[in-house]
Order: sequence, then C-alpha cells, then structure tokens
Amino acid sequence: MHRARAATMVPMTTTAAPATTPVVGFDQVSKSYGNVRAVDGLTLDLHPGETVALLGPNGAGKSTTLDLLLGLKHPDTGAVRVFGAGPREAIVGGRVGAMLQSGGLMDEVTVGELVKLACDLHPKPYKVSDVLARAGISQIADRKVNKLSGGQEQRVRFALATAGANDLIVLDEPTTGMDVSARQAFWATMREQADQGRTVLFATHYLEEADAIADRVLVLHRGRLLADGTAAEIKAKAGARRIAFDLEGPIDEAPLRALPFLTSIDVSGHTVRIQSSDADATVHALYGLGLYPRNLEVAGLGLEQAFVAITAAEEAKSQ
Amino acid sequence: MNSLIKLEITRALRNKKFLFFSVIYPSALFLLIAGSADSTTKVDGTGLTLPTFFMVSMASFGALTAVLMGNSERIAKERESGWVRQLRLTTLPGRGYVLAKTASAAVISLPSIVVVFAVAAAVKHVRLDAWQWLALTGAIWAGSLVFAALGVAIGYLASGDAVRPITMILYFGLSVLGGLWMPTTTFPDWLQKIASWLPTHAYAALGRSIELGDAPHAKDLAILAVSFLLFAGGAAWLYRKDTLKA
Repeated sequence: MHRARAATMVPMTTTAAPATTPVVGFDQVSKSYGNVRAVDGLTLDLHPGETVALLGPNGAGKSTTLDLLLGLKHPDTGAVRVFGAGPREAIVGGRVGAMLQSGGLMDEVTVGELVKLACDLHPKPYKVSDVLARAGISQIADRKVNKLSGGQEQRVRFALATAGANDLIVLDEPTTGMDVSARQAFWATMREQADQGRTVLFATHYLEEADAIADRVLVLHRGRLLADGTAAEIKAKAGARRIAFDLEGPIDEAPLRALPFLTSIDVSGHTVRIQSSDADATVHALYGLGLYPRNLEVAGLGLEQAFVAITAAEEAKSQ
Repeated sequence: MNSLIKLEITRALRNKKFLFFSVIYPSALFLLIAGSADSTTKVDGTGLTLPTFFMVSMASFGALTAVLMGNSERIAKERESGWVRQLRLTTLPGRGYVLAKTASAAVISLPSIVVVFAVAAAVKHVRLDAWQWLALTGAIWAGSLVFAALGVAIGYLASGDAVRPITMILYFGLSVLGGLWMPTTTFPDWLQKIASWLPTHAYAALGRSIELGDAPHAKDLAILAVSFLLFAGGAAWLYRKDTLKA
C-alpha cells in the first residue's frame, strides 16, 4: 500500500490502529528553543505491546520528544497524553519507567541502596533482589555508585527504570557505553519486557538495534516525523533494494532509466547498478525490455543506508 | 519520600570529611579561641564571659556549616548530573527532594550544636539552667532552617562550577560579619551597623539572650523571620524555574 508513494518521502501511515486508548498520544505537538523548532507539529500514537525505535540524526528532536512524553518539558502547542492522562499522572500511577541519556545518579550510596530507593518510590514495585538480578548488577550491589564503569552505570539506570511493573518503558540511547556482549544481554532483557506485553520506546543511533529489535521505527528529522513503519517498510521507502547486473555490448541507458520503481542508476562499463523501491517489479520489467542481464544480484540495503537516504532526501528538499 | 530522606541521611553520615567540618571543627575552634580565656572576664557590652559567648557563636557556626555547605553544592551538582531529572520520573513529589536535603542537614546540625555545648561545659565549665540548655539547642537548631533555605536557594541559583566559591563567600562573609568568630564590638562603627542587620548576627544574638535569661530582641526575631521568608521564597521560585526548563 505504501509502494506507490514510496519515492516521495511522505510519512507512511501506521498500520491499522487498535481501538484501545493509545499508550502515548502526541497531537500536533511543537516545542521551540528560541528560534529553533526542536519538535514541529508532531502527531503520533503508540499502542500497547509495541516495541518502537525512535531514529534521527543528532538534533533531530529525539531527546526533546522523550522529555515531552515524560513531562520533563511542556509543549508550546499541542497535547501529550500518556495512557489517556498527562505524563505526570502516568508516572505517579507507576505506569512509566524511563532511562534518560543524562540520568545522573546519586553518588556516595551503594547500587543496592539506590535500587531499593527506586523500588520504594514505585507504587507497584518488584523485589529489590529481582531488579538487581534482571539488570545484571547483583554482584556490584555493595559498590558505591560513583565507582562504576560507564556500562555498569547504564545497567543501574536500567534497574531504576524497571524497579516496578511499568506498562511503558522509555529508553534514551540505552546502550551507549556498553560493549557488544553487554548490549546483547541488555536487549535480551528488554525483549522479555516486551514479551510481557509492555510497550517499549527507545531512541538510538545504532541502526542495527532498531532493525533487530523494533517492530516499528519512527524516523525523526528536524522535529518532524519523516517515516513511520516497520524496518522493512522504511527500507523499501528509501529505495532500499540494490540490483546489479552486467550487460553485453553497448548499453543504452534511456530504457533502463525508464524502469519502474527505479530510484537511482549507475552505469560503469558493462555493469549496471540500480536502486529500486520494488525490486521484483523492476527486474520483471528489465526482462520485459528483451535484455539478458548476467550475474544478476538483488540485495537489500541496511536500515542505515535507508535512513541516510530518507534524511538526505529531506535535506535536499528543504534547500 | 521517607526512603529518600533516610538515604540522604545515611549518605550525609557516611561523609567523614563533611562530618569533621560540621561537627568536630566548631568545637576545635571553640577550644582554640576560648581555651586560654578565664571564666570571669566579660566580653565587651554583652554581660557574658568569653567561653559562654563563644559557645553560642561556635554552636551557631557549626549549625551554619552543616546546613549551608553540603546542600548547596549537592543540589547544584545533582541538577547538573541529571539526578534531579531522574527523580522527577518517580512518584516523589517535587518538594520531596528539597525536604530530604533539609532533613539530612538538620540531622548533622544537631550533633554539631550539642558537641560544642558538651565541650564548653566539660572543658570551660560553662553552667546554665536546664531550660536554658534546652532552649539554646532548640533555638539554634530551629534557626539553622533559615540558612538551610539559603543553601537550597544557592543550589538552584548556581551552576556546578560556581557553587563552591559562591557558598564559600556567603559562608565566611556571614560568619565573620555576623560576629560568629569574634564579637562585632571589635568592628569599626560603620561595620557594626551593617553587621547588626545580618541574619547570622540575629541568630547568635538569639542564643545569647537565652544565656542571659532575657527575652529575645524583636529586631533579631524579625530579621530571622524576614531572612527565612526571603531565602525560602527565593529557593521555591528558583526551584520552579529550574523545573520548567529542565
């Protein structure tokens, strides 16, 4: 359904929204700092059980969006609803747990004491020992918070965000500072949370994380929503299939350029490289031209390339 | 909120350097100043002996240290590190953070007052009626809330880098000019006039009037009350401003 529009970079519509109250609802939300519009007319709904990645280059408005969602900032215009109420009500009700990028910790106390504090403050707390175990920090429970490595600090922040039975977990760049194995362990834990029906929203700049973990990807650029769909849809939208083949004899480019769903073409010597938003249709039409492509390869692009393509197209449009 | 208060107190009691400066240091300073003084000569224009006079000065100074020094810096640093933001994502009410900080300061300031009294009574044989000891403790402890509010206000006003020098200047300025280290009667006339309006001067004067068995001066009570309203109001206003921009 998105294919016809794929070449023009219009935000995709979300797959059919359930009738329940959205977990998060942004309605025409804008927030400016001086002359800079950090968030610009953002409208979106998150639904129960979704795992959603928020992608965007630096300065795209990711952190501001999360701050608005958590009630740390207030929108200039528009409304933010969390479980049908204001963000603060949702937090006081124990429905939201969050891990901030710059979430400082109280120092001179132990990891265990800090996690106990988070459990004490939560209306639906888990057992402290369970929270520590799930975050993988049981062994360092007696260590002072100011004596931790960057990765351990992240785990403590994660423990604070999951001290009780939240329905929504918000994570801002959660795996920054973690090594590869810690990152994998982190996402395994996060997946468990999602499997229990929790909604997870995370901002990240590791695109492979969004690709592997999220079942919905939001691409934010200059405070606006550029794309909203599954990782596969985002890739398709960016012209995200690469077709390469060789042709014998002199190559006539004109009919190749007219191929359907083609987004770019590069001919060098006998080799033709095409990007297509619908590789099946493009290859089908290629044979339709009466050509005999050799060494035909069709490969998907990573989300990273798709992301770059989408934001670059937007940059080009705005200039 | 109680769990945060408990944790703040635990943390404050664990900080040995801070405990030394607010609990031991004022007593040591008392012995240094009053140690060789005899117990009969009166301090000019006060009707109190030197040890009695300095006992109140140092108890007030200790309480001032406990409530002013730790909190302003902690609050400024924790605002900068994002811990304050993290707390805003919990059920803790907004005032809870400031209340916990004030409560932990009050827990430290009480021993700093009592230790000075104990040293003064044991070493310099300061003798007062039972009601005077109790009233002194209560007045100095309660009066320290004025400066606790000032500490909170500084914490919300200053950035992490600037907070220490600002606190130091106010701390030493208020201590010296308010007459906590030496009687203000040793100051030149013009400085005495200024000093008599400082909240620290009123704070110590409150204690001295109890030692003399007099009713406190209305002017001193008014200065303390107005200072408290100013500092607490300022702290509340700065807190709100910080919350909106965080």
